[in-house]
Amino acid sequence: MRGADYVIKRLAFAVLTVFIAVTINFALFRLAPGSAVTNLARVPHATPETRQALKRQFGLDKSKFQQYLIYLQQLAHGNLGISFANSQPVADNLRTALINSVPMVFLGTIFAIVLGTLTGIVAAWRRGTKTEGASLTTALTFYSMPTHWLGLMLVILFAGTLPTGGMSDEFLIDPSFTTHVKDLGEHILLPSLTLGLVLYGEYTLIVRSAMLETLGEDYVLTARAKGLKPWAILRRHALRNALLPITTLVALSLGYIVAGAILIETVFSWPGIGRAVYDAVLQRDYPMLQGAFLVLTCSVVFFNLVADLLYFRLDPRITE
Amino acid sequence: MSSLLELDDLHVWFDLGEGRELHAVQGVSLSLDAGQRLGLVGESGCGKTTTVLGLLGLLPPSASVSGRVVFNGKDILAGGEDSIRPHRWTDLAIVFQGAMNALNPVQTVSAQIVEALEVHDSASGRAARARVGELLEAVGIPRDRGNRYPHEFSGGMRQRAAIAMALACNPSVLVADEPTTALDVMVQAQILELLDALCRDFGLALLLVTHDLPVVAQLCDRAAVMYAGEIVEQGPVDALFHDSRHPYTRLLFAATPDLHSDGALAAIPGAPPRLDRPLEGCPFHPRCDRVFSRCPHEHPALKRLDGDREAACHLNDVPAEVA
Amino acid sequence: MSVAVRQPGPVIEAEPIRSRRGIVWETIKRRPSAALGAGILLVVVVCAVLAPWIAPYDPHEQVGPVFGRPSWSHPLGLDDGGIDMLSLLMWGCRISLVVGFAATFVSMVIGGTIGLAAGYFGGRTDNVLMRITDYFLVIPDVPLMIVVAAIWGPSLFHIVIVIGILLWTSTARVIRAQVKSVRERVYVKRARALGAGHTRIVVRHVLPQVAPLLIANTVLTIAVAIFDETALAFLGLGDPSRISLGKVIENAFQRAAISTGAWWAIVPPGALVAVIILGCSLLGGALEDALNPRLRVAHLSAKSFRLRPLVGRSPDAV
Repeated sequence: MRGADYVIKRLAFAVLTVFIAVTINFALFRLAPGSAVTNLARVPHATPETRQALKRQFGLDKSKFQQYLIYLQQLAHGNLGISFANSQPVADNLRTALINSVPMVFLGTIFAIVLGTLTGIVAAWRRGTKTEGASLTTALTFYSMPTHWLGLMLVILFAGTLPTGGMSDEFLIDPSFTTHVKDLGEHILLPSLTLGLVLYGEYTLIVRSAMLETLGEDYVLTARAKGLKPWAILRRHALRNALLPITTLVALSLGYIVAGAILIETVFSWPGIGRAVYDAVLQRDYPMLQGAFLVLTCSVVFFNLVADLLYFRLDPRITE
Repeated sequence: MSSLLELDDLHVWFDLGEGRELHAVQGVSLSLDAGQRLGLVGESGCGKTTTVLGLLGLLPPSASVSGRVVFNGKDILAGGEDSIRPHRWTDLAIVFQGAMNALNPVQTVSAQIVEALEVHDSASGRAARARVGELLEAVGIPRDRGNRYPHEFSGGMRQRAAIAMALACNPSVLVADEPTTALDVMVQAQILELLDALCRDFGLALLLVTHDLPVVAQLCDRAAVMYAGEIVEQGPVDALFHDSRHPYTRLLFAATPDLHSDGALAAIPGAPPRLDRPLEGCPFHPRCDRVFSRCPHEHPALKRLDGDREAACHLNDVPAEVA
Repeated sequence: MSVAVRQPGPVIEAEPIRSRRGIVWETIKRRPSAALGAGILLVVVVCAVLAPWIAPYDPHEQVGPVFGRPSWSHPLGLDDGGIDMLSLLMWGCRISLVVGFAATFVSMVIGGTIGLAAGYFGGRTDNVLMRITDYFLVIPDVPLMIVVAAIWGPSLFHIVIVIGILLWTSTARVIRAQVKSVRERVYVKRARALGAGHTRIVVRHVLPQVAPLLIANTVLTIAVAIFDETALAFLGLGDPSRISLGKVIENAFQRAAISTGAWWAIVPPGALVAVIILGCSLLGGALEDALNPRLRVAHLSAKSFRLRPLVGRSPDAV
């Protein structure tokens, strides 16, 4: 199989990175000063039995190194401890939160990628014209806006017309399917729009830059000499090659999406993983914080891996 | 006798911003008959590539063009990009320098040749693939190699593939822009032989752009020498070599190392003039070894001399000086 | 054999680029986007520095009702504590800029050193340092910042360090690439051959070449640092004893400015942050462009080449 080594290497790197993230996670929470406070067993309102069980599970009376190993072991079983806030397993809380986050973040990211790609292509195509200047300025302006502030702006703007908080209307009793879907749709609109607007600017710049590179390559001249029409050249030669750097850079921006999600979910009270982080910080719910951080890091590693594999698929030159 | 392809007083300017312009091609006129082979020679930067790009309309938006490009009696430049595009590849095909990126790195070689066929409705599907096989064989590439990517080919093979692609739509004129410059000497010879054979077998007219005189001598009947955006001499290759009527031509041939002679290498001192300012007098006069009083002040026009030769030098007006 | 090979294309005489030292100023003078960016930053910095003298009111003093509306004496209204928004913004600017500059300084030092070492020494050092950089790149910044800030406790110093230790990766990469290319230049090789010590080479040859790019990267990093500060403040992790622009936004959010309809408590501070970030992006972006000029001719573009009327040179008759 072509480039099996490449795939394995990238997988190994991903696994190693997750491992390092886990270790950093452990170090931050257990070895930091004041770790008595972050003690996983100190779940408020928990019964002494629960506390004892946790102590046993995570070996909190043993040496730090042993705790580390036990931590890894528990992790492998999906045990992330008990949330201080609601005394539920952290893993369960996170799962719910993640499921809530995904549609909103997905929608926003798609919007940003589509809009960013279109404006980027237009800006590169119409280089040196007012259109390019205008699209770049708009992109840059949205890019400069703090995510949470933009969210607040949209809230102010749409306060009367669209719901500005939560994932759904809690007061709807037994809604029909269409009502339910419409309700969800209304609620998801503003948060994903905010994410999309904040993100798209960066993609415009990335796509424009990549397109300008490829539009200056010799094979574009060859394609033109062959008598191809501009749109065909753009699609099959320039864009196709520009996809390579674009994929890499989009992947690198995923960390930012995560950050944006945290801020947006806070503004819109969206019960997703970003909000979970915020609530955990507010309530000093360390097990949740630790778990959420781990999940977020793993998702970034995951998407970077996806991007690496995608790049590998797109570029026939990679063989080693 | 109407030629197949005629360039009439072609000028190309490049906009440099802030009101400045680079006059890269200054009134070039060429003619090419069917099956004929013309070499366009000169140093780097003399405008020969720009001429050829201009002829195919492949210039960037910063360029302005004037002049006529007459193909089979029709001025194809008159309508700009739209009037030239239909003639690309089906009538006029070009092979570039075999740089790594002259072919799209993410498409197989076959796919790129098929693209040429499909764009001009020459063939599609199975017929197209069969034709690709024929073309690859004609240039000496094994048929099954077509499904590989350009980076999997050596420089020479890539150039062969580019030639195969250029022939796909049966053009009548093949333009080759420095086709062997980026290649090893051994491979150069092979590619030149290939071009020779193909042009002969398919009856192609060849416009060969190069700075490399031996290449011109090997492949072409006639040559045009360019300097500072102009043609300074034109004629049969032998005549240019043995009896040149322009000092630059003579010095150019003299500067080519010859394995069989013991003479010292004669480089031409100095550098070509800047083309972003209007020039006074003969563009070559600062470097000329036969310069005299008229040269710095009066621009020599390209004049027809005996036979089918042309030269732009004041010395040709003074019979006593030419010796 | 023959004359050197050139890439196809016209011989364009480019304007000679003077010493790279002057390039920062040159770019600002020549490109409107750079000038605009620089201008914005200048105005903001001046306002921030002069805040104690030009702010109309004391930022701790209540001068009116909670969320008082904008009026002639208070063009931006009052915040949730009855404090004049305009003064609040001017003072908040100071802290935000201080955090931004300080954090960027930290990241520049770390990133610059790592990039320099990796690019200059190459080999194993390079590999190891780049691996470390790769790992840092993958870990999402804001969550890590949140976690560290939550554990360590909110104070200006902590915030600066936290932001700084996460922003250095891009600087390191950029500097490394530049150092690598400079290292290969003839005069550096010559200096090495003459036996010049590493320090001398770095200080006299490498750094001057790397400086402009470092400046461009720094400006862009400041933008991110300021954003990160507002993000942390918004999530309640800012220094509670200092007013930064992020804190102003957070206060307004917490005290239900929106439901009260007090948009003036939210819009101006965020807009100011956006403007600062925009200024940095414009300036940094223009500098980067100037240092890596794309001299490529576009082989395909919306516009086409132009046609001109025939020039016509009368051919001489034989």
